[in-house]
Amino acid sequence: MRRSRAAEGRRGARLTRATACAVAALAWLAVAASAHAKPGPQRFRDAGDLARAGDYPRAIALYDSLAASGTESASLYWNWAQVAAARGATGEALWALLRARELDPSDRAVRRDIDRLREAANLDRAEIAPEPLAAVARAARWFRLDLIAVLMLAISLGAHAVYRWRPSAARLARVAWASLAIGLGVAIVPVAGSLARPTGAVVRRGAPLLDAASPTAGPVGTLREGEVVPILETSGDYVRIEDSSGARGWALAGDVRPVTAPARRAS
Amino acid sequence: MRRALGICVAATLAILIASAGAPRPAAADGVVRSEVDARRIGIDDQLQLTITVEASDLPDQVAPPPLTNLRVVGGPGVSTQMSWVNGRASQLRSWTYVLQPTAVGNAEVGIVAVQLRTGETSAPAIPIEVVAGSVKPAEPQRGSSPFDEDPFGSFFGRRRGPEPKLFVEAQPSRTSLYVGEPLLLTYYLYTQASVSGLQLAQAPQYAGFWAEDLTPPGRSNGEPATVEGVSYRRFPVMRKLLFPTKAGRLTIPPATLSIGVASQSPFDNGAAVQRSTKPVTVEVKPVPEEPGSSGAVGRFKATASLDRPSLAFGEAATLRFKVEGSGNLKWVDRGPELTVPGARVYPPQVKSDLQAEPTGITGSRTWEYVVVPQTAGTLEIPRLEFEYFDPAAGRVARSATAPLTLRVEGGTPASAAPPPLAGPGPAARGGPLPLRADLEQGSRGAALPGSAVGFIAAGVLALHGLMWGGGRLARLGRRGRGRAAAPRSVRGAIGDLQRVGRDGMSKEKAAGLIEKTIHSVFGSLDGDESERARAVRDLLDEVHAVRYAPQLGDYSEKLRELAARAGDVIRRWA
Repeated sequence: MRRSRAAEGRRGARLTRATACAVAALAWLAVAASAHAKPGPQRFRDAGDLARAGDYPRAIALYDSLAASGTESASLYWNWAQVAAARGATGEALWALLRARELDPSDRAVRRDIDRLREAANLDRAEIAPEPLAAVARAARWFRLDLIAVLMLAISLGAHAVYRWRPSAARLARVAWASLAIGLGVAIVPVAGSLARPTGAVVRRGAPLLDAASPTAGPVGTLREGEVVPILETSGDYVRIEDSSGARGWALAGDVRPVTAPARRAS
Repeated sequence: MRRALGICVAATLAILIASAGAPRPAAADGVVRSEVDARRIGIDDQLQLTITVEASDLPDQVAPPPLTNLRVVGGPGVSTQMSWVNGRASQLRSWTYVLQPTAVGNAEVGIVAVQLRTGETSAPAIPIEVVAGSVKPAEPQRGSSPFDEDPFGSFFGRRRGPEPKLFVEAQPSRTSLYVGEPLLLTYYLYTQASVSGLQLAQAPQYAGFWAEDLTPPGRSNGEPATVEGVSYRRFPVMRKLLFPTKAGRLTIPPATLSIGVASQSPFDNGAAVQRSTKPVTVEVKPVPEEPGSSGAVGRFKATASLDRPSLAFGEAATLRFKVEGSGNLKWVDRGPELTVPGARVYPPQVKSDLQAEPTGITGSRTWEYVVVPQTAGTLEIPRLEFEYFDPAAGRVARSATAPLTLRVEGGTPASAAPPPLAGPGPAARGGPLPLRADLEQGSRGAALPGSAVGFIAAGVLALHGLMWGGGRLARLGRRGRGRAAAPRSVRGAIGDLQRVGRDGMSKEKAAGLIEKTIHSVFGSLDGDESERARAVRDLLDEVHAVRYAPQLGDYSEKLRELAARAGDVIRRWA
């Protein structure tokens, strides 16, 4: 009896040691994996170091991979714009700054640099803002009108519910009505902004405007570098756009990078 | 008669006093004259039209007036004069045209309109009579005054007096100086005769110099001066501040002045003589050429200041670099190169506060740089140097400002490593990039999509509708259960109950009204065992008891009490 208990104890100890070893191995693997795949901020700093060292292509590639992995921020696009501008890629720099403005409309340094680059590219203010509703959407994001609207609507709902429970509290009815009106009024702004067509910025000098979404399509015009155009639809590697003169056609998706929302698929 | 004479004398005196005391018109600055040398000419004659503008700021050209029956055959000849009359300096410019009539009859020189700094000034039109042939008299040799010639001079063997002794001299403040160093050139008039007027007949050209006009000397009584043993009175008539622009021996050419001499006898109408200064030669020494030199010559002191010690990220500060002193500061345009690590610096605006004085141009010149921080933290404005040539010491000197600090609050902190440089943008300026150090991912939080906000708003509206409509439906449902009569409003029922006991209403009728009102509000309550139904039934029982009880006393108080209870029941349960 005593022997069988001792054997059970030894088996239990062995099991515990094996479990501990497995946990340790898993932890080591996790640490090693995380060390191999550097976190976003570290890669961001690495890209900055590359840019300072003058290795602009690798820095941009790193910024690109960060953005592709979903690590987007105004600072990321700001740095990207500085590096692109240093390379002489005005269109790409302007696009990156416009993306930064989309992510953080309150960033004044970004807005100032957009103006500077726009003037350097000899573009009119309207040529980088073809969609007025996009500005409405930015204003909604800047002032967090979405949260304000939701908050006011929630207050109105709560006040109404309490009033139903206690009809004697007539003041709550007024609160419910007022907050409902304010909430609906404020909600109009982000809702209207969401109706804006997606836009893209021309990042390549002399990018052609094609008559069809096909490799054999012929050019019907040339797009201006840095110009922002509404994206009407996408088809494979092509996007259908309308330039500032009103001409519609197709452009390579790589030449027109989306500034606001992803383009809609062609039906 | 004596009385009339007295009145005339008094009136004349009054007019004289009034005219003497009246303020002089301010037309000295902005006078336009249109003059012709004859009002009646022959068709074969020519007419000389002179347009004269007298102002502190003379126009470069004047549009010729409209001409009637006249055409321009010569001109315009332009002459500029600086005149000195009674101790007051003025400048005028004349445009002279030669006109030829085209037909016999009336001709006209139209209105001359000149746009001056003080506004538009005009001279009136001049009518001309054109006759056949030639009527213009020959040019007189002297003035037309009968007293120009001394009628008794030849009779008594009298000769015209000797020419008055006077001459002009240009006197430099120094004869050896450096390039850019000021030279004061004063024109003096030495005279023994009374001078009635002075004009610059031929303005000198100051080749190799920047020339700056100095305010003419004020009214002066002159000073005694002896030249080669002859006594004169000396008057300063014009001063120029000259800055040599090149090294070597530079010569200031003569200046010719036309001097009006006042009459010296009853038969002398005065005369105009011309006198020229002697050329002035100065030795100009070069200043050492050094890279980065501002070209300033004189003595200067540089200071720098910021319009604010701290600012929020995204705002701009103004750095003022001020140079004060005396010298040729007016021609120093280039400010120091300013580079602020971590900030963008825009090209400066230059502001001047300078006055030309006999010792040189004194005052200050300020370069204002707009500094836009690109990062938060403390920025250091480096010391700025102003390099100039000090002619007194004969060497290049420097005046440096103290470093300044600018605190930037908020925003994105920069990396501690190589700081970004200032300038209009990395691509344009080169150098380290103004990169941000922190990714700041999601610092503002993701915004709700507009469509989501729309859905939420629609949902909230629907919930409101449900709550509002649900209450109404529930009430309707309560009323509708087993009620035969149409629903009545609570307010109407209460109004009916308030009529109970009025107008001598009998107890039966009053109890019936209460019962009818309760029925109309609650309908049938058969099978309903709720508290509400019980309360209504209790009330109805009491109403029935009163209604069918024998008339043994006054029931009015009881009926009012029942009506009040019925109201409470309706308010609570309806």
